[in-house]
Amino acid sequence: MIKVVDVHKSYTKDRETIKGVSFEVRKGQIFGLLGPNGAGKTTLMQMIATLMKPTSGQILIDGLSSDKDLLEIHRKIGFLTNEIKLDPMSTPNNLFNFFAELYDIPANELKARKEESFARFGITPFADKRFNELSTGMKQKISIAISLIHNPPVIIFDEPTNGLDILTSKQVTDYLKELKDKGHAIILSTHIFSVAEELCDDIAILVDGRIAAQGTVQELIKQAEVETFEKAFFKIYVDNHVE
Amino acid sequence: MNTGRGIKAIIGSFFRKRGQMGAEASSAAFLASVFFVIAVACCAASFVMWWFPYHLFSDEVYNVVVVNAPDSFVEYNEETQAHRDELARSYGDRYNYFSNWGHMTFFEYRYEGYGWTEFIYKDTDALYDFVTFGGWMRDNDAYLTVVFPKDFDEQIRLRQEGTISEKPQILTYYRTNSMLYSSFKNDFIDEYLGNYQSKIRADYGLKITSVADSEIKDDPITTVENQYGIKAFADTMSRTFIPILLFVILLYSSMSIGTNVIAGQKERGTFTGILLTPMPRYAIVLGYLGGVVLKTLIPALIVATISSLLVGQFNPAGFLALFLYVIVLEIFIAAVTIMISVINNTVVSAQTAFLPIFLILVAVCVTCIQSVSERDDFYMFLPVHGQFYGIGDVLTGNTNLPGLIVSSIATLLLTAIMIVITVKLLHSERYTVSIDTVNSKEIRRFKEGGKSSPLEILNKITDGFSYFITELFYPLVVLSFYQLLAMIPVIVSYMRKPEYSAFISDLRNVGTISDIFDKTFEIFGIFFKDPLFLSMMTLGYVLIIITYFIHAKRVWKIKGLKNAVASCGFPVTDKKHIAKHYGLGFLFGFLMMSSTIAIMVITGQIKFSGFSLSGAAIGTFLVNLLMWIPQGASEELMFRGYMIPAFNKRYKVFVGVFVSSILFSAFHSLNAGFTPLASFNLALIAVLFALIYLYTGDIWMTSAMHTAWNLSQGNIYGLQVSGNEASNTVFSAVYNENAKSIITGGAFGPEGGLATTTVTVICLVIIIMLLVKKSRKASNKS
Repeated sequence: MIKVVDVHKSYTKDRETIKGVSFEVRKGQIFGLLGPNGAGKTTLMQMIATLMKPTSGQILIDGLSSDKDLLEIHRKIGFLTNEIKLDPMSTPNNLFNFFAELYDIPANELKARKEESFARFGITPFADKRFNELSTGMKQKISIAISLIHNPPVIIFDEPTNGLDILTSKQVTDYLKELKDKGHAIILSTHIFSVAEELCDDIAILVDGRIAAQGTVQELIKQAEVETFEKAFFKIYVDNHVE
Repeated sequence: MNTGRGIKAIIGSFFRKRGQMGAEASSAAFLASVFFVIAVACCAASFVMWWFPYHLFSDEVYNVVVVNAPDSFVEYNEETQAHRDELARSYGDRYNYFSNWGHMTFFEYRYEGYGWTEFIYKDTDALYDFVTFGGWMRDNDAYLTVVFPKDFDEQIRLRQEGTISEKPQILTYYRTNSMLYSSFKNDFIDEYLGNYQSKIRADYGLKITSVADSEIKDDPITTVENQYGIKAFADTMSRTFIPILLFVILLYSSMSIGTNVIAGQKERGTFTGILLTPMPRYAIVLGYLGGVVLKTLIPALIVATISSLLVGQFNPAGFLALFLYVIVLEIFIAAVTIMISVINNTVVSAQTAFLPIFLILVAVCVTCIQSVSERDDFYMFLPVHGQFYGIGDVLTGNTNLPGLIVSSIATLLLTAIMIVITVKLLHSERYTVSIDTVNSKEIRRFKEGGKSSPLEILNKITDGFSYFITELFYPLVVLSFYQLLAMIPVIVSYMRKPEYSAFISDLRNVGTISDIFDKTFEIFGIFFKDPLFLSMMTLGYVLIIITYFIHAKRVWKIKGLKNAVASCGFPVTDKKHIAKHYGLGFLFGFLMMSSTIAIMVITGQIKFSGFSLSGAAIGTFLVNLLMWIPQGASEELMFRGYMIPAFNKRYKVFVGVFVSSILFSAFHSLNAGFTPLASFNLALIAVLFALIYLYTGDIWMTSAMHTAWNLSQGNIYGLQVSGNEASNTVFSAVYNENAKSIITGGAFGPEGGLATTTVTVICLVIIIMLLVKKSRKASNKS
């Protein structure tokens, strides 16, 4: 579903943020992006979400390139940024309706989809409260609901459990598993090793704009010759990070 | 994909109560509504109030009021009586339209000659008192007033003798509530007064005529036409004030709404979500454009409708043209704001970027106003100019259809280009995701280094700047508003007085800025002797004080008016405390001024010529006394009680003292006879008062000092108060011939002299010592 081929990205002429990254994500697979701050995770995900263009290389979503089929890609991806941003004066209800219309979701489907989505995350009692009255976890759940409003086959989640309590976090990971089982292709970036271990079928560790290692959790542990995933991560990071 | 549905959703989001832009209810709409409710009330009131010369609509009238008619003109009227009677007979019954059908054209009554004109003779010294003239015209069914100078015949004689070279002036005032009167007036001036000129030329200037024919062309008199009345007023408003009001409403609301949409969403981080929807970028831009246009058009069209009704435009085609002009203009302005909004990442930076465009467009309006009477037709076809002139044309009933079409197309083309650019910009990641990545990272990096980012510093500066502007300009705006309000009845009453007509004649010779200032103070000098003005000002000062209380309550979010009043420096709970502070303040103020006077007497600058208070002036003196009380209190409230705590909320206390003192000084610097020393003195006095405020914790004392200072200065010792003459005094003081203005302050009054400096410095030393003592006591206690 997602194909990233030798992607480079530089904001300034003398410094490359992404230095040749390639990977592929299939249907029904959760692909984890791990890496320290500044490794280029967010940049990479924003490029996949078509918000930025790679300096060189190619990104294909379901065989489509953002140069030609930008809007078609938009219909296929659901993107969640790592910072929770919702208009404080709006309400979940309004925002859901607003985006439903932008995604051109038929009016007869809208109500059922909203009820289902709100019920799953327990948003329903808060549907008409302003965002500035809602908690961080609630806002994150609403963000997820809205980013998946059009039921996209490709899901790009940048640190979805960041800053959430354990209960909400579990709700989100459960939901991701469910989506995976339904055949969605998911890219996930996270700092939390347990989440990565639990969810990801394939993990790429990004260090300084390059994929330092890639594989399943077990493969990575094996490759680093350590006991735990956490230790493997540190070892890979130390081996590949250039001061 | 149904793009239209998405566009509709974006537009809809502007109008949802709790929607994206719901909270951005335009304050311009509210202000405009208030303004126009007042305007409508005034218009309605004009039918019953005495100061309006006549109603909006009336039947045609034919008489002429002649003011100060010279004997020669009366004679001339008698000579023409027979001819006019004959004309009248040929017209038939003047009150029966049907019998006069032959004289009617499609819209206009053909008025030939002066058969129906009767002359009404009046006398007055006030040659510019158009209120009275209007009343005379209304009472006598006249459409024209011809005003002669009192000694007209004498002036003609002297001119023929060559003693004076200036032509005597005849002023005419005519009704403008019907287009007919303009042509009546032209006929009357050209023919009737023209023939009269020939007559006086024949009577006095035969010699000249026989000597050289060319001399005949020299009319013996000049006629100055004065257009006035509701129609003239409406025409002027239609071509100047209403278009600029519409422009400002459109600019202001587009700015507050348009800069908020994309830049605001980028700032809040909600824009990415919209970019990721399958909406094409052009649809996103069109959606926002539609939202801004519709939201802004609400107040603009309300204002346009009401104003066109007010100026008497009831033509549906005219309405349509007006709406087209406004809509096209708004689409253009909205496109500009959205383009700017795309380029910028925060609301503040977008508004800052829009400000120059705002000012440029207002400047274009001003140039349009200046050249409104001699404009080139070419401008009708341009964007912006076309709309400005076009609105004026429509409102005065002369819609220029080619101008409307061409300027609209030109403007829409320009708009289309801007939309294309905006869409292109939206495809660039520099203007879409940069805030999410580069800037926020930068900010984080700076924060980690313990420094503020340039963006934050910029925000801080603009924020601080706007705070200063608000606090500095609030007093200015409030004061000028109430002063203007206080002056309106005074001006109306003065139109009837000869001093005023002399003053207006003088205004014709005003050339330089300093002339304007001189004239302004001259009229203030006249006003300050008028109990009506003084009582109106007293009322004005009271209103200023109330406004400040309400403002403070609102801005500082204080519960209860009593608390708001107290936080403005007027604690009201302890009556004894108030009496003590106010009484002491009055005494101190009087003593300060008295010592200043004493210095001047000792140094031989001044001498007293005795008591000058007459019985009749006692009333005015009392009114003066009453005025100085709220005057002192309001200035203390503005510059001390409100401003110092306002600045203290953000800055160290000396900033408030410093800024308020500078401002206090600058505030008085427009007054007559102002010198650098005067500005220094005023700043010094302001610092003294500010320190007293800090010492006592309230402004009861300084208010009393302020009042006592001004009262004793102007009305007890008889000197000028900050350049304003006060005339009703207990003593009358006279400067000695060799008085040095460096000590006395000259025309500005004692506040401009070294004597005041001396006294103020001594007081400053005392209060600083007291403050130091107080702070020591406080630190000892703690």
